[in-house]
Amino acid sequence: MTQRIRSKIARGSGELAILSLLAEQPLYGFEIAKQIGERTGGALKFTLASLYPLLYEMEKRGWVEGRWQANSAGRDRRYYRLTPGGRRQLAPLRAEWRTFFQALDSLAGVSHA
Amino acid sequence: MPDWKRLVRERIAPSAPPASVHEDVVRELAAHLEETYEAARSRNLNEPAAIHLALQEVADWHALAAAIHCAESQENPMNHRTKSLWLPALLTLLGASVSLMATQFLGLQPRLVWIHGMGITLYWPWLAGLPLCGALGAYLSQRAHGPLRARLAAGLSPALIMLIVMLLILPWGLALDGLHFLTLVSFGFGLANWVALPAFALLIGALPFLRESSTTETQRSTT
Repeated sequence: MTQRIRSKIARGSGELAILSLLAEQPLYGFEIAKQIGERTGGALKFTLASLYPLLYEMEKRGWVEGRWQANSAGRDRRYYRLTPGGRRQLAPLRAEWRTFFQALDSLAGVSHA
Repeated sequence: MPDWKRLVRERIAPSAPPASVHEDVVRELAAHLEETYEAARSRNLNEPAAIHLALQEVADWHALAAAIHCAESQENPMNHRTKSLWLPALLTLLGASVSLMATQFLGLQPRLVWIHGMGITLYWPWLAGLPLCGALGAYLSQRAHGPLRARLAAGLSPALIMLIVMLLILPWGLALDGLHFLTLVSFGFGLANWVALPAFALLIGALPFLRESSTTETQRSTT
């Protein structure tokens, strides 16, 4: 049960992290994983196994779309960009997580930990 | 440097339905592994260590294939678990129960074996048929693209359920009869007769359907 909750939290946070990054610029898988790792100081970490199923699911839902194009090194990479549908998801997701953290904070004082 | 596309195709294709592993997926996963490898090389890691690091991105290719299949088909993961674990386990349990009933119906008698003065009833005709049940469970789980542990659990489900039943019975037995040497010995024999031996027989049948992942492990360690 605890693992299922953790998995849902990880999944939800992953969606928000990916949507937030792609709202700034289109990125390909490796860059998404790298930037999430770097910008969270390693607190959030995506491996290939955790990233791509989530990306494909988000693509199926119409939140992101992938397109092959050459990167700066001239290699073909599948760049993901946010769709209008994905952009619409971002605000409610952010609000949901803000509420979640506020609730957790009032309960456990996590922001002062 | 390894041929990353070939490596991904070899590992993921046997575990996933063809429709979900189209060339784009292989190409994209291969590109990710390649960049992980190159990033490791740029940090002065030697080639085997860099390859090892890249391959650590995927702990279980079966699980990855299943997750991609779920994502591509928008299938509920619970449905996948039902198909790859619960249903095969239930059918294996049913097969084992029916075969036990069949042996009794056909009048195939169990054999009484004496060990250190204690008799243990060996249901050998039933045990002889159990590899087929184990094979059925592991095969059905494999066909539903179940990961190794699901195939193992499905194949061994009758023994696992007996283990749970026996562990539930033990406290009652101890409460009713008290802690006696004989109670513990009979429990041990019961465990051997209804759990360990059936598990061994089931495992023999399930083995061919577990091998795929061990091949993958070997490939992973030798690449």
